[in-house]
Amino acid sequence: MDFNLDLVLNSFPLLLIGAGVTVQITLLSVIVGIIIGLFIGIARICSFKLLRILAAMYVDFFRGTPLLVQIFLIYFAIPVLTGQRMDPFVAAISACGINSGAYVAEIFRAGIQSIDAGQMEAGRSLGMTWTQTMRYIIVPQAFKRVIPPLGNEFIALLKDSSLVSVIGFEELTRRGQLIIARTYGSLEIWLSVAIIYLAMTLTISRFVAYLEKKFNVENKR
Amino acid sequence: MIEIKNLQKSFGELQVLKGIDLKIDEREVVVIIGPSGSGKSTLLRCINYLEEPTGGEIIVDNIPLNGEANINKVREEVGMVFQRFNLFPHMTVLENITLAPQKVKKIEKSEAEKTAHELLNKVGLSDKAENYPDQLSGGQQQRVAIARALAMNPKVMLFDEPTSALDPEMVGEVLEVMRNLAKSGMTMVIVTHEMGFAREVGTRLLFVDGGYIVEQGIPREVFENPKEERTKSFLSKVL
Repeated sequence: MDFNLDLVLNSFPLLLIGAGVTVQITLLSVIVGIIIGLFIGIARICSFKLLRILAAMYVDFFRGTPLLVQIFLIYFAIPVLTGQRMDPFVAAISACGINSGAYVAEIFRAGIQSIDAGQMEAGRSLGMTWTQTMRYIIVPQAFKRVIPPLGNEFIALLKDSSLVSVIGFEELTRRGQLIIARTYGSLEIWLSVAIIYLAMTLTISRFVAYLEKKFNVENKR
Repeated sequence: MIEIKNLQKSFGELQVLKGIDLKIDEREVVVIIGPSGSGKSTLLRCINYLEEPTGGEIIVDNIPLNGEANINKVREEVGMVFQRFNLFPHMTVLENITLAPQKVKKIEKSEAEKTAHELLNKVGLSDKAENYPDQLSGGQQQRVAIARALAMNPKVMLFDEPTSALDPEMVGEVLEVMRNLAKSGMTMVIVTHEMGFAREVGTRLLFVDGGYIVEQGIPREVFENPKEERTKSFLSKVL
């Protein structure tokens, strides 16, 4: 067996550029996912039946179909309808963000529903509206409870962002593929790619653990 | 102050309230007793629309309970104290008390805090303003809950079994606060199992069973001389 350390060292800067792009996609998708997830999650439990049904359909569709197929749909199928070429960066963020939004919605919904019903009753009995009670009483309490599952979701999202390599978007995985095509160093490069992913996911999980601890110390529950 | 006409409430197939008529005047202290599942808590929770009635009419302080705006208006005037306190665990005692006055009545923070300190003094907890609910005993939490409801300056206070979740030695301190409130002239509706308290503080006693008001009157008279068979059998078990 032949392990070419020089290849690893020489390729590393290029791979790190790819990792930077991966982080970029993940961060932007996380933001899109949280915004979508908050609205869809609250819509899932609001009192308007139509909104509830639409939100449930959203979750069903984007959780029930593969992310890879969603990426193809957005990148290849939508341009057929609009006649406009889709920018790979926009397609990547849209697909990952919209997909993640479905999972985040379920996380928020579960977090909100885990808060004792008496909290909503207490807020309403004081004359506060549903929205005020949600904003000042329910959501702040739910937020602490959703930090660990949100952390898991973001780790999953970071790894899943490797799927956007199929539309030629040069994030970490795609960079690896390109280097291998040139050098045939499958072992060295895939191993390097794996280690870079691991370093990023470990960083997120440590950060989440820190947040969890911080919020628990700050306010008792 | 409160007018209830032919109030009905069903949960699916189960009809809990089968037609309640009730008028409560200002400064009355109405105590509701009855067996579990009789509908007494449901009746109380209909008064501020935490339960939506399936039939009948409720009018509080000349405001009929219909439409979201009226319901919120009535809730501003009707304070409620729950069996399990329902304090907001992520806020200090002071924040618990000042939140609704600021958000609903748009009262200045400093003004709301001043009122909150007065109320805490009234319920004997002036040194607990900066504590979180889980640092307090059950009795203290319930007294904070009473202060929180009073901060909205309500015209009526509803109590839903306020001492049922408390350790026995803490019941007294909560009843003491309620007793003072009654003395100050607050209109109160209380669902309770504390028969001694009902007799001492109540100006009227309602015995509710099977979704109806079976009997009502001055507490002492109902306790000593119940007219209905069901009242007699209930009182013989609890007194």
